Amino acid sequence: MIEVNNLHKSFSVAKKQQVKALNGLSFKAKDGEITGILGPNGAGKTTCLRTLYGLLKADDGSAIIDGIDVTESPLEARAKLGIFPDKFGLYERLTAYEQIDYFASIHGLQGESKHQAILSIIADLEMEELAHRKTQGFSQGQRMKVTLAQALVHKPQNFVLDEPTRGLDVMSTRVLRNFLAKYKEKGHCILFSSHVMQEVAALCDRVIIVANGKLAAEGTPQELCDLAGEPLLEDAFVKLIGSDEGVAA
Amino acid sequence: MIQFKALLIKEFKEAFRDKRALMVAMTMAMMAPIMIFALSKTMIKEMIETPPIYLNISGSEFAPKLIKQLKDNNILSLKNVPDSDNELWTERNLELNIPEDFAQSMLEGKVIEIILQADFSEKSLNAPIRRVKNEIRVYAQSIGAKRLIVRGIDPRILQPIKISEQDTAKPSSNAVFISMMLGLYVLMAAFMSGLSVAIDSSAGERERNVLEMLLCQPVSTVKIVSAKLCCASTISILGVILTLVLTSFSVGFVDLTKIGATFSLDAYMVFIIVLMLLPISFFASALQLFVSFQAKSFKEAQSTVSMIIMLPAMIPLALMFIDDKPKWLDWLPVSGQTLLMEELFKGGLINWAAFTGTAGVTIGLTVLLVAILSHRLKSEKVVLALS
Repeated sequence: MIEVNNLHKSFSVAKKQQVKALNGLSFKAKDGEITGILGPNGAGKTTCLRTLYGLLKADDGSAIIDGIDVTESPLEARAKLGIFPDKFGLYERLTAYEQIDYFASIHGLQGESKHQAILSIIADLEMEELAHRKTQGFSQGQRMKVTLAQALVHKPQNFVLDEPTRGLDVMSTRVLRNFLAKYKEKGHCILFSSHVMQEVAALCDRVIIVANGKLAAEGTPQELCDLAGEPLLEDAFVKLIGSDEGVAA
Repeated sequence: MIQFKALLIKEFKEAFRDKRALMVAMTMAMMAPIMIFALSKTMIKEMIETPPIYLNISGSEFAPKLIKQLKDNNILSLKNVPDSDNELWTERNLELNIPEDFAQSMLEGKVIEIILQADFSEKSLNAPIRRVKNEIRVYAQSIGAKRLIVRGIDPRILQPIKISEQDTAKPSSNAVFISMMLGLYVLMAAFMSGLSVAIDSSAGERERNVLEMLLCQPVSTVKIVSAKLCCASTISILGVILTLVLTSFSVGFVDLTKIGATFSLDAYMVFIIVLMLLPISFFASALQLFVSFQAKSFKEAQSTVSMIIMLPAMIPLALMFIDDKPKWLDWLPVSGQTLLMEELFKGGLINWAAFTGTAGVTIGLTVLLVAILSHRLKSEKVVLALS
């Protein structure tokens, strides 16, 4: 379970000039649900997620993961998280297996249990053929699988993805979508940010719309459509973040 | 501990699988023995040979005996210069003017003024000028001595005091140029060998977008930095060992006895030097990591880090010009090790107090760098620079 309460964060761009990236954002992502964060570019999605990882410190407010405050004990909070970051790279001189092994060890797994965990995640993602190849030259879809595997090898209760479908083809997107759905079934909490409406509509149990660093609206995709009075989520989204602030409030 | 081990293993795998970078790192070590071998060969040649000197002598006909004395010692007239050396000696333009009244003045016992004209500031002329002056002085002294003997006076009367020089330098001190070069070289090796690994594992990882993922993991930045440091400095130490081993092998081919010098680099000395440079390797890698973690790209890191390499080159050079070395130089990193190595190569014993002192200071500074760097990796600035 991930809770974000009244997050404020501003960056100084130039001298005495400040940009408010987060302006009192609050939401909850519950266990056994997929929560989607929708928002235009620059709405504060990545800033919010980075605050969740403990990479950034909020000026005000708190982020709580399974009851652990990220600001107070970032390492313990991160141990409860699986992270699929904004920009993901791979260690190109390591094989996929070694890479997953590396992250498994960082999460404190060792010995036979580690080996089993790696094998099971590799089987889940159907990447047995890739496992012992060096990751240099992997396709975008293969890279996504490795990143997914290394984020989930320790079976975290919460899983945060920052625009995971960016650059993926239809097949890879489906793999990801099916995997997330299965992971949700096991009672995990999944939070992911995206731009793609169809995906959010198809996958998410709840959607959080972020604009200008604060919550613009939240609910199931259907609820959002009803709220905006539009049949399509895309139109609803535009309306909710746009001039119709009365609706958003 | 599991975490640190995993981090370390991963760093080593990456470092050793990047064959090309590793090769570049080790070429430094490979080149050392070749350079030392070639340089000492030429130096020995210069020290023991007396190559012919060609002088533009005017009035040679007035002093045939002097000319013969010069000729016996390979100091010849420019007229006889072979074509291959013609240009060189014409340009050097050493002139010797013998006055017309040489024989007459000699007969009358007057002081004869011979003019030696040359560009005395030109370094390459130092040796020829010294030899010409020396030969003329010897010639003049022998004539003076004969004059005294003819008058029944012991020529020793002109030399009331004789200095008897007793050289306390051990034989190996004469090999000072080799040891100086080697000292400089191993220091450079310590700084250069780990360089590519240090940059690759910091700025390189940032550029490949893997650093953010690592910083999001439940692992302290101290462990991350220490693992990277251990890996880079291991490569650095390997470079140092390779340099020393290859040098000890190649020095065997140079016949130093020709110039009365001995130089040996036995296993014990190699061991001591490696022990001495162990902290330096860590310090160098820490410094390089520190700088390249702040850099925004691989390229920026490379250009900034290359400044750091000036350190091992400049400090020993600067030390050469300080005659009265202040005590604290013994304790600083790089300078302390330079001075210790100097002593060691001269065959002197090691000052263990300075040895542990400089090691302590170096390790202290390394720990400080790691602490600051770990702290900075937690700061938002680094994270923001990721994207």
